[in-house]
Amino acid sequence: MILTRREALVTGGAIAALATLPLAARADGPVIITMKGADNGARVWFSPAGLAVAPGTTIRFENGDAGNSHTATAYSPDIDDRQLRIPPDATAWDSDYLLPGDTFEVTLTVPGVYDFYCRPHEMAGMVGRIVVGTPDDAGFAGAAADSDDLPDAALAGFPAVADILAQGSVEGG
Amino acid sequence: MRILSAVALSAAMATGLAFAGVASAQDAAPPPAPFQKVSDLVALPDFIPGLGELFVDPATLPAGPFLAYDHDGNLAATVYMVPIAALEDGTAYTDLPLGDDTVTSVDVMYNAGHPGVEEPHVHVILYHGEDAKSRIAE
Repeated sequence: MILTRREALVTGGAIAALATLPLAARADGPVIITMKGADNGARVWFSPAGLAVAPGTTIRFENGDAGNSHTATAYSPDIDDRQLRIPPDATAWDSDYLLPGDTFEVTLTVPGVYDFYCRPHEMAGMVGRIVVGTPDDAGFAGAAADSDDLPDAALAGFPAVADILAQGSVEGG
Repeated sequence: MRILSAVALSAAMATGLAFAGVASAQDAAPPPAPFQKVSDLVALPDFIPGLGELFVDPATLPAGPFLAYDHDGNLAATVYMVPIAALEDGTAYTDLPLGDDTVTSVDVMYNAGHPGVEEPHVHVILYHGEDAKSRIAE
């Protein structure tokens, strides 16, 4: 369900697995993922690119790139008929274009792996991955297989699920 | 013959004035149609650090020229955005117009993409004035 002021809420059943998640994933407020870009526009990325959170965590995407606009868009057939790379029971989201300083929030409740991308920068490899809960959670949906639907740069940009779970937060390469 | 020469001279002068008129019209933002403000066409900030306030004739996309203005609305640079894939496929971008025929320096840099030109491409920036780069830096 997309709310006003570019906020969104994704609903679904979930059981929290707080005990096994890194401390950073248990923040009370929104967990921030920042859209970043080099001053000359040569590089763009999500920071962090990989994040582990407990079910029910709200993620806030913030455009911290003064010279560019970005989106945070879930891979889903519901959005531009893309490959499903979020849990089947989850609701896809699209922030639409965020200008510098704009934010967008989404709450993820269904356990599993969520892959997302920036619409204008997917070809440049600007993608991210959020792991909600752990593989021990009932109904946990693992990472999607590689697909020709995605450019090579995007496929190379997803941190490994094991690294995300082990570290809690993973920066891109 | 004298009459023809006089006519030719008049035509040349008139043409020269016309060119000067076009150039001066582009010296200050907004440039005349068909140029349009880039931030009105796609989701980008009005002023982009390093590029300034951009205007483009949409018919010339993706290469441009993009006319880049500083915070005071003065023309600072002409920018071309050249997709790398198109170059690799053999596309040539030739005889591209200039915003101003005084070019003091040129920057060529890779860009990962942005709304409007959403594929990796090269920015070719022709600066018009010694201080032009600093005027659109931030």
